[in-house]
Amino acid sequence: MEANSGQPKPVSRRQFLRDGARLVAVTGVGALGGALANRAGGQTVWQIDPAKCLHCGNCATQCVLEQSAVKCVHAFAVCGYCQLCTGFFDAEPNELTTAAENQLCPTAAIKRSFVEDPYYQYVIDERLCIGCAKCVEGCNHFGNGSLFLQIRHDRCLHCNECAIARTCPGDAFRRVAARHPYLLKTAPH
Amino acid sequence: MGRAAKNFFVAGAAFLLAVESVCAEQHFPPPDFEGGYQLPLTSTPPPRAEWLQNMDMAVLAAALLLAVWLIHRRRSRRAVFLLSLFSLVYFGFYRKGCICPIGSVQNIARALAQPEYSAPLVAVAFFALPLVAALFFGRVFCAGICPHGALQDLFLIKAVKVPSWLEHGLGIIPYLFLGAGVAVATTGTGLVICRYDPFVPVFRLSGSLFMIGVGAAFLLLSVFVGRPYCRFACPYGALLKLASMASKWPVRVTPDTCTQCRLCENSCPFGAMREPAPVTVQAAEPEERRMLSRLLLLLPVLTAVGALAGGVLASGAATLNPTVALADRYEREHGHTTVYAPMTPESLGLKRAAEQPEAVLAAAADFRRKFGLAASFFGAWSGLVVGLKLISLTLRPDRKDFEPDRGACLACGRCFADCPAERARLGLPVLASPA
Amino acid sequence: MKPEFNLLDRREFVAFASKLAAVAGLAGLARESRGDDKNSFNYQALDSAKHWKTDPKLIGYAEVTRWRSQRIGARRLAVSPDGRIQVCADNYISSYSEQGDLGPEIALPGLGSCIATTEGGDLYVGLRDHIEVFDKKGTRRATWKPADRKSWLTGLAVGRDDVFAADSALRVIWRYDKSGKLRGRIGEKNEERNAPGLVLPSPYLDVLIHPDGLLRVNNIGRHQVEAYTMEGDFEGAWGSASAATEGFCGCCNPIGLALLPDCHFVTCEKGLPRVKVYSAEGRFERVVAGCESFPENARSCSGLNDCAHGGLHAAIGAGGRIFILDIVTGEVRVMERRV
Repeated sequence: MEANSGQPKPVSRRQFLRDGARLVAVTGVGALGGALANRAGGQTVWQIDPAKCLHCGNCATQCVLEQSAVKCVHAFAVCGYCQLCTGFFDAEPNELTTAAENQLCPTAAIKRSFVEDPYYQYVIDERLCIGCAKCVEGCNHFGNGSLFLQIRHDRCLHCNECAIARTCPGDAFRRVAARHPYLLKTAPH
Repeated sequence: MGRAAKNFFVAGAAFLLAVESVCAEQHFPPPDFEGGYQLPLTSTPPPRAEWLQNMDMAVLAAALLLAVWLIHRRRSRRAVFLLSLFSLVYFGFYRKGCICPIGSVQNIARALAQPEYSAPLVAVAFFALPLVAALFFGRVFCAGICPHGALQDLFLIKAVKVPSWLEHGLGIIPYLFLGAGVAVATTGTGLVICRYDPFVPVFRLSGSLFMIGVGAAFLLLSVFVGRPYCRFACPYGALLKLASMASKWPVRVTPDTCTQCRLCENSCPFGAMREPAPVTVQAAEPEERRMLSRLLLLLPVLTAVGALAGGVLASGAATLNPTVALADRYEREHGHTTVYAPMTPESLGLKRAAEQPEAVLAAAADFRRKFGLAASFFGAWSGLVVGLKLISLTLRPDRKDFEPDRGACLACGRCFADCPAERARLGLPVLASPA
Repeated sequence: MKPEFNLLDRREFVAFASKLAAVAGLAGLARESRGDDKNSFNYQALDSAKHWKTDPKLIGYAEVTRWRSQRIGARRLAVSPDGRIQVCADNYISSYSEQGDLGPEIALPGLGSCIATTEGGDLYVGLRDHIEVFDKKGTRRATWKPADRKSWLTGLAVGRDDVFAADSALRVIWRYDKSGKLRGRIGEKNEERNAPGLVLPSPYLDVLIHPDGLLRVNNIGRHQVEAYTMEGDFEGAWGSASAATEGFCGCCNPIGLALLPDCHFVTCEKGLPRVKVYSAEGRFERVVAGCESFPENARSCSGLNDCAHGGLHAAIGAGGRIFILDIVTGEVRVMERRV
């Protein structure tokens, strides 16, 4: 490389424009980034508001995952522990047993067990639940509404845009703080 | 002391009783179990920890720095390729391609349009860091970090040269996609760039049938067309292209002087290699200047026409928004639905609209207004893009050497090994001359 | 083969084939997330038309008039001897004529959760955990102490010397004398009295005094109407769980009881909202109002409506007219026997 003879190297017009554009861009991106970073709140995640959910069945089919990240959960404090649970049993069961033909759940994900007369416990096996909300509909229509859908955050991919949220007829999806990522039912609702 | 303490305890007890009675009021108690049955708790598995999000940002920053060093200092294609493999595994298959800078543009756009919306910090970082890197060092992000690009690179065997007219024509699409994504995002309707990302379903190994098909098609295409998504679709690539055009240290084939041996001419699989500008005949200059001035005049016309066209398109595009679609359906079918028909999700939505028509219609009207504005801007932007493209085609480059186009160069480093001067510099064996 | 037609040499072809296989493999591994499945809606199980539509031959009542409570949150109603309808809504007892004209109102310190009238025109109101007594002019005569802090009174029956309060939260019927003193508990599980225990998943316990001297209580978890002596001995029950018109649907029904002048029972149900008449022995007789007449009530548990406070409630007026309160919509219907 030759040493300069002492005179500054001439800047071409293009080079000048480029330098100017770069300066503006860096300042712009920096300012924008700073302003938005300042405004940024804590991490948020998607969740279903059970008060708005219409138990339509979209959660089972619209999630980008093959097995939906939405599962039914049970608010035990709200449950009536009924022998004839309308979230467990079909509308007209042949008999009140755990035979698959009597159950609403298409995958038999609700496990029914006797507690004491006349109370029965109903627990959901999340490995089997597909989030179709048939049990939620049955429980909310006739019973106390202790079964409801929630996004399970150990399965959810936390997409920027939730594919189920787009199609929810009840507009039940919203973003909540990651520190309190569940909207659980606590009272008969 | 005793009196104050007593008052404190009385007040505390009263408060607790009041709280308990309020809570008791809300809650109908579960059955009294005689056998000592304990009510189970509903499990609440937490989401991904926040420190892991911070780690994503740190990995991005570190990878960017490493990419800069590998491309500009070490100048090793092989090392960049290995880095891109790591990124494919980390940002692609581990993080499932989300969060990514391509989608982050929408979060930024929405944050600018809606003051009450705050983009997550990760999105801001993923948007800003690769851009700043590109402003100084070129598109090192594309070569070394982007998992989409890395996946396409893996599939590339032999790149076909895309004819110049096609390359320029398709090259507008990233800008249009960017404009559309930003326009839709500012209305808060959705994130179309995320929705129509062809490679994320591959990372997730699940998705809609349509998008899996599109992803497979892109991968097949990338076997014989170099990085088709990056060149002809990626909206963030459009921004990186602009940033890279202003870069301070663009990627060159060699830092030494170019000897014009032309051995690097066909080395770029992405069609980014450019020849030195031909010397123009003096007589042609006035003709060129006239063309340029005509195009400069055409530019605002195109922009205005675009804005008008956008305004016209708006009402159709607004039905992308679920609330607007619901309001439209409600107005069409109001009064015709019965309760006892099978309740599909669509009819449930309609029933909700029938219960709160004012709220739904008001929200839909609000969205339509926002859409009208956003569509006009998109139309204007599209006109601007077309006009600027035409202008850029008439501008004479001032290139004297063989070097990659600053905007189109993806900083992959494949051209280094074709240059004899570079090979000598790096200590690589001399190439046999081509047949 | 001429060399010019070779686009790829063998190595490149192998590479091409392997990439093709990789794409096919990835596409095959990727699971379609069934986004286009339009067939998944959840009302197939419950959408049995045969339950929503009542056989017209079974309907024995016709609607005379219908009006809406002017206050929101109407929960219970009772008919005073002067023919006025007393509706508990919001923090008031509002008095309406049979046609729905609003008359005097009594302000309550809280929400009225149950109401009963006496022949003398007195009003007994349950305010969640305690009872208050008003005379026919609307002056408060007494405020009784709550039997328990956690009480949730959802039914009242006033006899000659006793007042019975149905407490859903404690699953018991309180027996008071007319001065407000607690005299006994009825309905709890008790082997000596043969009482099976009241099963109440939701707050809908109701009580009425039958002319045969026995109390009738709706044990909703067992789908039966049970008879008890005033001391608490269990004397029998009728009712079965079934979605069919003759039975009590769902998990917990009937949620309301009323007595016709001929000693027959009027029952209200939720889930499949309907009002029916049973004989004194518990044989199904006829339908007063079927599901199809309560379209909004049928979905009372969706959205923002509270499952614990939906449903229907009925009270009997002069001449055997039945007044049905739709708790979800706040409407009162006046039904008359049609022959």
